[in-house]
Amino acid sequence: MKLGIVIGVVWATKKTAELKGCRLSIVQPVSSDMKENDLPLVAADPLNLATGGDTVVYVTSTDATQAFDSGFAPVNASIVELVERID
Amino acid sequence: MIFAKVVGTVVSTQKDQNLNGKKLLLCKEVDHRGNPLGTYHVAVDAVQAGEGCFVLLSYGSSARMTEITKNAPIDAVIMAIIDDLQITHTLQGRQ
Repeated sequence: MKLGIVIGVVWATKKTAELKGCRLSIVQPVSSDMKENDLPLVAADPLNLATGGDTVVYVTSTDATQAFDSGFAPVNASIVELVERID
Repeated sequence: MIFAKVVGTVVSTQKDQNLNGKKLLLCKEVDHRGNPLGTYHVAVDAVQAGEGCFVLLSYGSSARMTEITKNAPIDAVIMAIIDDLQITHTLQGRQ
């Protein structure tokens, strides 16, 4: 799981049935000191946790599908936690 | 998921039977601004995308997680057609 900041949103009316109602956010990956360290990526937000500017924890790879209740969705990254603060 | 632009159709008659009836599209990977990144994917089309479409592409084992691509020998699928995207925040604004 990695830290990222939601910097935008993707609108797509035509998408696979598995992704219905799921927000697609653009996430900027950040290092532990909140500096950007990679290209922005698109992450599914099945729990509708985050809006623009929020710091989130996201998972990538096959594990991203587990963020969906069904465990069955064609996603490579999912937002799973909204970060309140890092002490 | 990655951003991609559909640039062509791949036509084949002899293929794995699990690929029958699936449209294969040639997609060039781009960044969120639409600039090409130099790599390409042959992806199964799950959303009736066409040439020139700006799409989201899912790759690896996750690509098999749609009703259309279940149990098929594929590693890339087009799972959404992008209508619009908006960058609303920058990291600079936070610090």
